[in-house]
This record gives sequence, structure tokens and C-alpha cells, in this order.
Amino acid sequence: MEVVDQEGRTLTFSIGPQHPGSGHFRLIVKVDGDFIVDVKPDPGYVHRGAEKMCEERTYIQNIPHLERPVIFDSSGILFPYVLAVEELLGVQAPPRAQYIRIIMAELNRIISHLYWLAIYGIFLGHSTMFMWPMGDRELFIDLAEAIGGTRVTFSYFVPGGVRNDLPPEFKERALKTCAYFEKRLKEYDRIFFSNPMFLKRTQDIGVLKREDAIRLGVTGPNLRASGISSDTRKDEPYSSYQTIKWDIPVRKEGDCYARAMVRFQELFDSMSIIRQALDLIPEGSVKIAMRGQIKGKVGESFARTEAARGTMFYHIISDGATHPYRVKISVPSFRSLCAMPFLLKGNHLADMPAIYWGLDYWPVEADK
Amino acid sequence: MDTFEEFLKRVITIAFWLLLLGPVIVLPIILLVLPQFGVPVEVANRFLIALINPLEMLQFIDSLGIGPSSLFFKIAAFPGFTFAALFATLMILYERKLLAKMQNRVGPLYAGRFEGILQPIAELFKLIFKELLTPEKADKPFFWAVPFLAIAVGGAFLALIPLSPEIYIAKSEIGLVIIFAILSFTPLIVLTAGWASANKFSFIGGLRALHQLVSYEIPLILSTIGVVMLSGSLDLMKIVQAQASMWFILPQFIGACVFFVTMIAELERIPFDLPEADSELVAGWYTEYSGMHFGALQLANYIKLYGFSALFTILFLGGWNGPATLPPVAWLFIKMFVVISFILVLRGTNTRIRIDQLIKLGWVYLVPLAFANLFIALAVASLGIA
Amino acid sequence: MSFFVGFFSALWAGVKQIFKHRYTLRYPEQKLDMLMVNNQKSGGYEFDAKKQVGTAGFKGRHILYMDKCTGCSLCAIACEGIADCIDMVKVDKTFVQNKKSQFPQIDYGRCVFCGFCVDACPFDCLFMTPFYELATTDKRSFVYTPEMLSQYPQLKGEYKFMPDEKSGAHHG
Repeated sequence: MEVVDQEGRTLTFSIGPQHPGSGHFRLIVKVDGDFIVDVKPDPGYVHRGAEKMCEERTYIQNIPHLERPVIFDSSGILFPYVLAVEELLGVQAPPRAQYIRIIMAELNRIISHLYWLAIYGIFLGHSTMFMWPMGDRELFIDLAEAIGGTRVTFSYFVPGGVRNDLPPEFKERALKTCAYFEKRLKEYDRIFFSNPMFLKRTQDIGVLKREDAIRLGVTGPNLRASGISSDTRKDEPYSSYQTIKWDIPVRKEGDCYARAMVRFQELFDSMSIIRQALDLIPEGSVKIAMRGQIKGKVGESFARTEAARGTMFYHIISDGATHPYRVKISVPSFRSLCAMPFLLKGNHLADMPAIYWGLDYWPVEADK
Repeated sequence: MDTFEEFLKRVITIAFWLLLLGPVIVLPIILLVLPQFGVPVEVANRFLIALINPLEMLQFIDSLGIGPSSLFFKIAAFPGFTFAALFATLMILYERKLLAKMQNRVGPLYAGRFEGILQPIAELFKLIFKELLTPEKADKPFFWAVPFLAIAVGGAFLALIPLSPEIYIAKSEIGLVIIFAILSFTPLIVLTAGWASANKFSFIGGLRALHQLVSYEIPLILSTIGVVMLSGSLDLMKIVQAQASMWFILPQFIGACVFFVTMIAELERIPFDLPEADSELVAGWYTEYSGMHFGALQLANYIKLYGFSALFTILFLGGWNGPATLPPVAWLFIKMFVVISFILVLRGTNTRIRIDQLIKLGWVYLVPLAFANLFIALAVASLGIA
Repeated sequence: MSFFVGFFSALWAGVKQIFKHRYTLRYPEQKLDMLMVNNQKSGGYEFDAKKQVGTAGFKGRHILYMDKCTGCSLCAIACEGIADCIDMVKVDKTFVQNKKSQFPQIDYGRCVFCGFCVDACPFDCLFMTPFYELATTDKRSFVYTPEMLSQYPQLKGEYKFMPDEKSGAHHG
């Protein structure tokens, strides 16, 4: 739909769902020459009522169902669910399971950030930066597959622990992969993050100042790139994160380059967390034996974790039955969507891919 | 062709049937039918003798006027169109394999027995069999004319570049000026394609390409004036002769860099491939072309790549000068290979730049650099070096 | 000046990659061996009903031990909210432990390979194997009857994916 306004100056058109540069999501832009005057995002293309469908499934049957919105960061979207259900049941996972959950969550974070990096490369025209992260991501998917059994959507976390123990010789494989990948990240830095062409496309573009970031409510790496040091793993530690030491990457500029560098630094941090968890992991059981159907006590519970894209929050209301009464999910991608029109206005149309994907907005997760 | 024995069996079968049926069908045609159409009998006799005695074949072809030293052979076979098309297909394969090795994967692998060497031929067949779609609201005469015009421009560009003192298609004393005149036809072709496609993405791509090509023609021409001054003539042969002692890249380093950058912009390659930014504009000005139209446009693009790298070698890298161990043509190809490899590596390691940064680069940085290069050339020429 | 330094170091990083070893596996001539040696009977994911904990393994096609299955249909009930792909069907042979002679039948067109049916089985008779080549051209052949499920599939991989510090991975 193209509409030219009365003076013939601005053109409204849709960068729609069928477009190589937009994903499953439509942006209705109003341009004046090359400058964007107004932007209305139109999410909802992949909405399928996931929260309502949760009410018809038992607590265990919800696990494969809730993993599907973001298939490559499946532990990120599942972690707060199992924490909330455990609070309803009044149990806590054994210590060994908590450390294994940390390892799995950080592996998923690396996998998700590498996918983000690959698509960012191709949006900016850099085909080598598409192939390198996708190739190296296979090494981490192989590690996750050794634990979970499948390459994506492992269905590995259950209320009460995790489903199976680590396989033998996992520690050596993980340490070798991490050692190789740290050397590779130097090459990534040379070919992409320090490439002057990339700097020209992303520095001082899409600047999100500190007050605006707080007002618009963004979370995750987008928030840390605007100068606010906030990470749910440090503010409200869950699942033994308080025993692991690392520094949160924070940058003050708030432009696309800062957001990219925060995610790049998080790759290093995730690998260091995995190494510390593999050293600190105690022996013991990995799952509390639960027989029969799970029935939560009457009441509500909530849990908040740090997924790859930001803060994920679950609120579960239960009335004592085998099915939950209401499951409310608050996803980080929807928070970034609030910042998108604010950042895109006034910029060139050619900057749209850099800003849009730089916020790491995943349409399927935002629509659930 | 699964095994070598089956391959050999098939070849022997085809050869056998050809040898058996060939004389039965071909001989009557030559001896009885052709003279009815006015072909003199001596030609038919010489052809038959040439079939049996291959040493006579060369003289027979020469007498027909299409021998290796005739103009027809030069335009059609070597160093003309067929050779350029084969070179372009080899370059497409080289580009894909080189980019694949740089990107930690293997390129085309299964077509042909050795590392996918028949892949471009397979793609050529695929493109021939595809349907040629024309949009409903498109301007049909202009839409169909664009691939032909693109190949015509590429071919005319090629015709003016000599490959060695003996191998050339056309020779002229003002060769460099004619080349630039032919190249300045390209923006018109791009604009025609963008307008005639009746598609708003093609139109935006066509306008962007027009901006890019027109603004980069000026540094392209200015950077070669230094070379003309140092060698004293516009003829490409004499430019190469003037580099017998020192290649022009040394006194004209800035000019060579400017020419290299504008060359990539004129070819619309990464990092200047904004007209075909496929994360924003699907494919730019050639979105609506399919099948052999698309094949013709890609062929024209790679023929221009061949022509530009040959021009860069002739102007700055000493052309075909080199030690006498190899023929001059071989030296030219070796230098062209190095230049093309550099262009392809640039494709793999860079992102695209934005349209306003591109125009700023062309007008604000490259034009003054080209003028500075001119003054350096004046200084060098007046000091008597080269 | 830093522009040129950054530019040429990016070029050099790209060129260096040309000479490195790549870990591409030429499927289907070379196939991976997904068997994980973990003291398992089935080679893939298993679940111990007494200890209520699983064993790490690849979640591929299922394997059914018909001499242990009693037809309790807990696997079908577990799958009802997830993919609804297990049905209990009658089988001709009679078994001592299975009075109604009913066994699970799995439709792989719907299965999501989550493994909760394996978790639900109380008699340790449904496990998963490392067989992953289930693609067909006919949708009806996705339905695996209990007899098909009880035959152990033929695994064909020879190469193992082994991480390596210098070159990422190699295939042994």
C-alpha cells in the first residue's frame, strides 16, 4: 500500500513480511526522500495464542510448547517457567542441577548471540560474517546436543531439576571448544568489529541516551549499551549464579556500535561462566523424583531470569489443578519494540537494517 | 557418469555411431545438395580433402576468410567473445571457490569430476531452460533491449583492449578516450532497466546506481590523465611500451589507488554494491529479469570485470612487459589474475557503505586526490623520470 | 591512518582463512556416528523408571521392547498435550504381560522428539535410538507400527565429530 500525501512530498509504504530484510514483521514507514519521518511497527504476524494454549496442557506438557517461540534460545524462555513452577510446588532443584542449568543457559546464550551476529553481517552486506558465526555455532550446538539430545528445543529443564546428567567426557570437549573459540573471536574482531567500514555504518547511529532507555523500558544488552549496569543474574541471583564471578559489560555511547560490542563481550563472559561452573559443579542427583501428575498449590508465583535478549518474566496463577490457570509471559523483544520507532525517526532509510537488527528484535518471540 | 568405464563406453558408442552415419549423411549433402545452392564444387572438394588430411584444414578455413588471423576469428573466438565468455565463467567459479574458502566452507563441489569445475556450465544450461518473465506493466521494447545493450557495451569495451603487441581486435591512436566514451553509456542502460521494470524497488535501485555511476566517472577519467602525461600518448600500446623501464604504479601510486576504488564502484561490487543491496532492495535494477536475461546481465558484468582488470594492468602494472621466458600474453594474464584476486578478496571482507557516504567519498575525497595526482605527474614528467 | 590499518588487517584475517582446515562433512557420502557410549542398551536417550532420572543420549527414532510393554498407555497420555502422535493399537501376537495385546504406534509426522513418552513409561520398555534418517516421500509411511518400532534400526555412521583446539573440529 503506497500513499503519497497531499503535497506529494512523503511516501508511505510497508516494508512488509515478504521482504528479505524484515523477518516476520511489518514496518509501515513514511519517508521524505531518504529520511524516515514516521514509523509504525505492526507486530502480530506470527501470533498463535501461546499463553492461552498453556491453560489446556499440564505443567509438564507445557515444556515443549513454551520452548517453541524462540527455538535457538530455548533454555532462555524456559528457565523462568521451571523456577516459577518450582516455587508453586515448594521444592528447589538439587545443587548439581542448578550448575547444569547455568551451563545450558550460557550455551544457549552463545548460540543465540552467534545467530544474531550472522544475520547482522548479512544485513550490512558482509557475507563472510554470515558464514563464520554459523559455522562456529555448530560446535556449540554439538555441545548442547551432547547434553540435551537434540540440536534445538531440548526440553531439558523440568520442575525439580534437569532430565539427565552430563555425558561422560563433556568437560574436555567443552574446554577444547572454548579454547578454539576464544582464538576465533580475535579474528572476528579483526574482520568485523574493527573494520572501518563497519564502524562507519554503526557509530553514532541510533543513539539511545540513558534517560530514554529507562523511560522506554528496554532490557538486556540494549540497556547495558546505554550506560546502565543492570543484569538480572547479578541483581536477583537465581540458581547459584551468586557463586560465579564475572564483570558486566557496560558502554556509555548507546549507539549501534555499543550494542554490538556489548554482545561481543558477552560471548567472552559466557565462556568464562561455563568454565567456572564446570569447576564448581558438585556431585549428586540431578532431579527430584516426582511421580504422577504435578499439581501446584493454590496461589501465584513469578520468576525473572536473563535470557539472551533481555529480561524474561513469568507469572503463573494456579488453582490446584493439573493445568495452570493463567500463564503470563513478558518477553524482552517486546520491550525493544517500544524503542524501535523512537530510534528510527529522523535517520536514513539505509540505516534501517543496522538499527532494526541491532536491537535484536525477534518477531516470533514478541508475538508468542 | 558413475564410473570411468561407463564414461568410456558412452564415448566409444557415440564415436562409433558418428563415424558410421557421418559419411552416409554428410557426403551426399556436400556432393549433391550444396552445388544446387550455388556453392562451387572446389570448395566441397577441398572440404573433403581437409577432412581426411587435417593439415589442409587450416588452409581451407583461411581460404573461407575465417582463419586465425582474420577479423571474424578475432571477434568471435580469441581474444573476442567466446574467449571472454569462457574467461567470465571461469572467473565466476573462481570467485565462488575463493569466497567459500575464505568463509570456512567448500564451494561448488559436485558438478564435474574435480571440485565443481563444470558448475558454471551447469548453471548456464539451467538459465537457458528457465522462462523469460516480463512484468505486465513493463515497457516491453526497452525491457528486452537492456540485456543486449549491456552485452554490446561489454563487448565494445573488450574490443579496444590489446592483449599483446600482436593480439588485438581494434587498434586506435586515441584508444583510452574511446573506452571511456563507451563506458559512459552504462548509466543509461541502468536507468532504462530501472524505469522499464515498473517496480518501485527496481526504480529506487536504478536511481541509486545512476547516482553512483555518474559520480564515479569523473575520478575514473581524471586518474588516468597522469598516465597519459607520463607516456605521452593515448594509445594503449604506446602506454605499455613507455613502461618498459618502470611500471607506472610507482610514480602514480595515488592515481592507481583512485583508479582501483572507482573501478570497483563502476563494477557495482561490494563494498559499493548499493544498487543491489539485497537486504533492502531485493536485487536492485535487475530484480525483474529472469532466465537468460539475467544470465546475459551477469555475463556483461563479468566481461566488464575482465576488461577493467586488463585496463588496470595495462595502465599501471606494465601490461605485458616481463622476462622473455613466457610469452607476453601469459604475463598479462598473470598480472590480471593478481588484480582479480584482490578484488574478490575485498568482496569477502567488507560491508556495504551507505549511499550518502558513497557520494561523499566520490566527490569530496577522490576528485581532489585525482587532481593532486595530476600535479605529481606533471612534476615527475618535467623532472625527466620515465 | 587507523583507517588503513583496520582495513588491511581485515583483509589479512580473511586471506588467512583460505589456508586453514575446514570441518565440512560431505553428507551423504560421509555420515556421523551419533552413538554415545554411555552404558546404554539402546544407544540413545533412556529413562530409568526406578531412579526417575534419564541417561544422556541422542533423541532419534524410538525403540519398543515388546516383551516388557503392558499396554498401560501412559506414553499416549503423556503425548496428548504435546504432539498427540501415540495411539494404542492391537497386535496379533499374544504376550504374557499384555492382556489386551495393545502396543503404542508412533506417527513421526507429528512427533517432536521431546522424549516425554520415554520419561512416562514405568516399565523401561520405550527408549530412543540415534537413528535420524526418517524422511520419506509418502506421508502414510510415517506411521510406525509396534512391530516396526521393535526392530533396532541400522546405523550407518563412521565419522565422529571431535572438537579440537587448533582447527575447531575434525572427523577422526
